[in-house]
Amino acid sequence: MPLIGYSECFPYFQETILSRKLLRPPGALSEIDFIAKCIRCGKCTQVCPYRSIRIASLMDGLTIMGTPFIKAREIPCYLCMKCPPVCPSGALDRNLKHKKDVRMGAALINRKECLAWQGTICRSCYQSCPIFDEAIRLDSELRPFIDKKKCVGCGICENVCPVEPAAIIVKAK
Amino acid sequence: MRIKVFRRIAQILTVLLIIAIPVLNKKGITLVTGTLYSLAIDGIWITDPLSGLQVMLSTLSADSALLLSMLIPIILAFVFGRVFCGWMCPQNTISEFFDYISRKIPPLPPFSKGGMGGLQIFNITPSAKPRYAIMILLLALAPLLGFPVANLISAPGIISVQVSKYFYEGVVGLEIGLIGLIVIFEIFLLRRVWCNYVCPVGGFLGLFRLGKTMKVIYTEDAEHVCGGCLECAKACQLGLNPMEGKIYPLCHNCGECIVICEKIKDKGKPLRFSF
Repeated sequence: MPLIGYSECFPYFQETILSRKLLRPPGALSEIDFIAKCIRCGKCTQVCPYRSIRIASLMDGLTIMGTPFIKAREIPCYLCMKCPPVCPSGALDRNLKHKKDVRMGAALINRKECLAWQGTICRSCYQSCPIFDEAIRLDSELRPFIDKKKCVGCGICENVCPVEPAAIIVKAK
Repeated sequence: MRIKVFRRIAQILTVLLIIAIPVLNKKGITLVTGTLYSLAIDGIWITDPLSGLQVMLSTLSADSALLLSMLIPIILAFVFGRVFCGWMCPQNTISEFFDYISRKIPPLPPFSKGGMGGLQIFNITPSAKPRYAIMILLLALAPLLGFPVANLISAPGIISVQVSKYFYEGVVGLEIGLIGLIVIFEIFLLRRVWCNYVCPVGGFLGLFRLGKTMKVIYTEDAEHVCGGCLECAKACQLGLNPMEGKIYPLCHNCGECIVICEKIKDKGKPLRFSF
């Protein structure tokens, strides 16, 4: 783990960075370390076969301009694990090999909107979860719930949720 | 003329590379990936040393793979000088093109004070000091603010990343406007202002110089006769005079002065590249 540097001296600055909460590619360090280490080269966006990774622009903020992020509702991360090894600066952990070790964030179910929790049969998120039957499990009444220790935050559940807007969303770590 | 042909080929290849990398990667050909911040050529990593240094300063740590990948540009600068700037950088290619065009337009008041027929309002003697000041400021801000601040104004990096973004997302970020601002500034205010006075990337690459680094040398003796026509100084877009010496670290070894000298003189040329 790298030292955080002097950004700790600027609590306001740190807050604005953390308030953005972008979903970062797999293997990303914690947000403060990530924006210090990412050199904005865009290699991860080029190797992503699903075009999940986008590049933040000037309008997204000076501190994150050029950094990679994922819009899970549009294209989630399919955990092919091609991006961490290409990162030149180690902003993405190059040693990360297994998708179960990814921690991009964690999914959160809005039970008031979730079809299964409202009595309709729906197992979209449960069935598409790549950490099948571990990160999202079903209770005795077939309602999904999330194991935050197992959830990798890939956003596939958010992508497949039939409710608009999604009743399950990924909160970046 | 060989220098000019080789340099044009290098400039065109760099532009083609910036476009070809995202196009080929999108089709699944990942032999070469990256942008001008960081390239990977079949396992060989090349990283912009300024970006790498900022990461090391703001994380107070050194990653061995990152350090190793910074070596190729540093060795290139030690051997050939700032040839990245003069022979490859897309911003230099763009600036050079617009400077060439603006010299073709007859100057009208108030655009007539820029010296040799340009449109620029201001005309000041080139100095490396502002560029160093900007570079040091940005390098100090990187650890203070906790992100690579100099990359906000790294023109070659922004150009190549935005080209890649365009091919992947179909849009470009507003930061590409920096390139337009540079071009407008250079045409109307101060000739070649970016490379000469601002660019932190070029400023940093200019630090890697030794006595043996490739340079333009001027010899005036029995074998090398200089007519004193000053065409070399006029050919230099950066406003340097190779006859005076002391053109480094501003000179980026583009060799335009040598090319014009060769054109004028058949033999006994006083200007040449030397190590």
